[in-house]
Amino acid sequence: MNAIDPAIHIAAANIRLDGVTKSYGKLTVIPKLDVEFKAGDFTVVLGPSGCGKSTLMQMIAGLERVSSGKIVIGEREVQDLEPKERGCAMVFQNYALYPHMTVFDNIAYSLKIAGMPKIDRHARVEVVAKMLGLTEYLGRKPSQLSGGQRQRVAIGRAIVREPAVLLFDEPLSNLDAQLRHDTRIELAELHRRIGATTVFVTHDQVEAMTLADRILILNKGEIEQYDTPKAIYHKPASVFVAKFIGSPAMNILPVRGDGNTLRLSDGQVVAKCPLMGEFQLGIRPEDVVVDPKGAASGLRAHLRYCEDLGSHSILAAELSGTTVRIATPFGGEAPDRNVLVFSFPLRRLHLFDAVTGKAIAGAFGPVTKEQQ
Amino acid sequence: MVENARSINIVASLVLLIGIAYIVGPLYLTLTTASHSYAFMLQNGLVWSFGGDLFVNMKRIFNETSIPLQMLNSLIVAAGTAAALCILSFLSAYAIVYFRVRWAGAVFALILATVILPLDMRFVTTYQVASNVFSPLNAALDATGLNDLLATVFGAPVHMEWSILNTRLGLIAPLLAHGMGTFLFRQFFLTLPKDVFKAARMDGAGPIRFLADILLPLSRTSFASLFVLTFLSGWTQYLWPLVASSTAETQTAVVGLARLVPDEGAVPDYPLIMAGAILVSIVPLAMIALLQRYLVQGLVLSEK
Repeated sequence: MNAIDPAIHIAAANIRLDGVTKSYGKLTVIPKLDVEFKAGDFTVVLGPSGCGKSTLMQMIAGLERVSSGKIVIGEREVQDLEPKERGCAMVFQNYALYPHMTVFDNIAYSLKIAGMPKIDRHARVEVVAKMLGLTEYLGRKPSQLSGGQRQRVAIGRAIVREPAVLLFDEPLSNLDAQLRHDTRIELAELHRRIGATTVFVTHDQVEAMTLADRILILNKGEIEQYDTPKAIYHKPASVFVAKFIGSPAMNILPVRGDGNTLRLSDGQVVAKCPLMGEFQLGIRPEDVVVDPKGAASGLRAHLRYCEDLGSHSILAAELSGTTVRIATPFGGEAPDRNVLVFSFPLRRLHLFDAVTGKAIAGAFGPVTKEQQ
Repeated sequence: MVENARSINIVASLVLLIGIAYIVGPLYLTLTTASHSYAFMLQNGLVWSFGGDLFVNMKRIFNETSIPLQMLNSLIVAAGTAAALCILSFLSAYAIVYFRVRWAGAVFALILATVILPLDMRFVTTYQVASNVFSPLNAALDATGLNDLLATVFGAPVHMEWSILNTRLGLIAPLLAHGMGTFLFRQFFLTLPKDVFKAARMDGAGPIRFLADILLPLSRTSFASLFVLTFLSGWTQYLWPLVASSTAETQTAVVGLARLVPDEGAVPDYPLIMAGAILVSIVPLAMIALLQRYLVQGLVLSEK
């Protein structure tokens, strides 16, 4: 557990979803979901738009009803309770501040409804405002604030009630790049200080990788993988995860195993492997080793273009009908502009089933420490 | 502006000037006529110069006509219509936008149908209902045969009567059946971010609290503009008050003004009528002057 700020006392609670489903009429958004978010964890729910991640969050918050199944927060079953009885607070994508109220009133509104005496309300709002650097803006209206300040008011409004669960619905997507970066760091800091169980919905993989204790990757309402950011990056459970995390995305090549080696469709041997049949082979762009001298052994591919990003370059090569992206530290000065020679280190390869897309563990010998 | 040429400016100014003359001319003539005596008018007709009898004519309005009482009627009818319509429209729009109402689309379409079928088109039936509010119920009882049954059991059929003709309620109620306000509020609610409603729910606000704490303060300008527009149209209503009230004490000022013209024979006392017209116009003019800001804001439907 992290050190908890003495000013805001949050008793974090775990969230458990038992066979939760959600459908709108005939359209099923979430088929059946069983997952548990540990108390005090920062969980990022990641997925493409329309994968059900916002629905999932709204069901936890109580803004959407579950079609079936149970949601347990702490020890209580909450799926039939009103939002205010669940002990959740939420930060919305477009802040959803009350435009006619001052920053103070925005933050204090939930306390006012809960019937807290005015003096206590003042004290509590001031603590939160100080924590978020909003003290001098308490008298202003939301329209007089910048995007980042509005975001902080929205966060203040959420944490002032000391909720057991904090929910974030893509809260950074309306900010510009620099502010998004700063706010991300502030959020991580905030979570460390108050320690509430946090569920954060986003489609931005950078936010997911940097903020999360654990990442839940959803695809069409089903869990693709639920693990730490490191494990998700280094041991993707499926082609979907492999392609979704990492920029540029992992290269996926169709290969055929003959019981001894894996071959590309043009016959080049990529790796030794005892398996037989059709597979999908994955390798991250930064794991490809380019041979600058153009040695005789290794894979050969036609270099199509090169993007120089300053810190590194992305080479795109045509390998048996598939474009392979390679991140190289040595800039655009590839040894031969036409033919690129490179190899795939065995330990960096990922093998997936050609049909289901699921990862095949231990295809290249026992899993090593380095891979984890 | 499409063009900024000098010639276009001149033409545009000319057109505007003609328009102004067309509107201001009769108003000016109203003022000058109101300032002459009846005798002067009979000799000289309507003239474009001012006389000295404006206040004499005004005093005559107060002493000799029912216009002051009728202005009070107008005020009650206009303000009552505006206030009731605001409340009704606000509540119905709230229900349509924020709640999952079955057939909400159809209900809204029916409400909007009142815009396409205004009072003037439903005049005769509206009058029938106003003369006996229970007439639809009576008709329904007759048509379903329930009344025959009641007649055999209790000895007499049910026939209820309640006329609201010649009452202020009778003047107000039919004017309320108008969907414009609901439309106005609905459009305004739709411009508000949806998440505000969810945020209020997360903060623990129920539907009534959300209505009172969030929606009502945000709708101030819409309220003001709808109130002004309805008040003005209520004040200037002519046809319905003319039909629905037949005594001088219950008529509105606009109808009362028209009644100052004698039915036949004599030349109307135009100076008196014009003085009355000026008096009757003062209230809506003051209204516009005071709430002009909201009138424009409400029409552009924006809230900062």
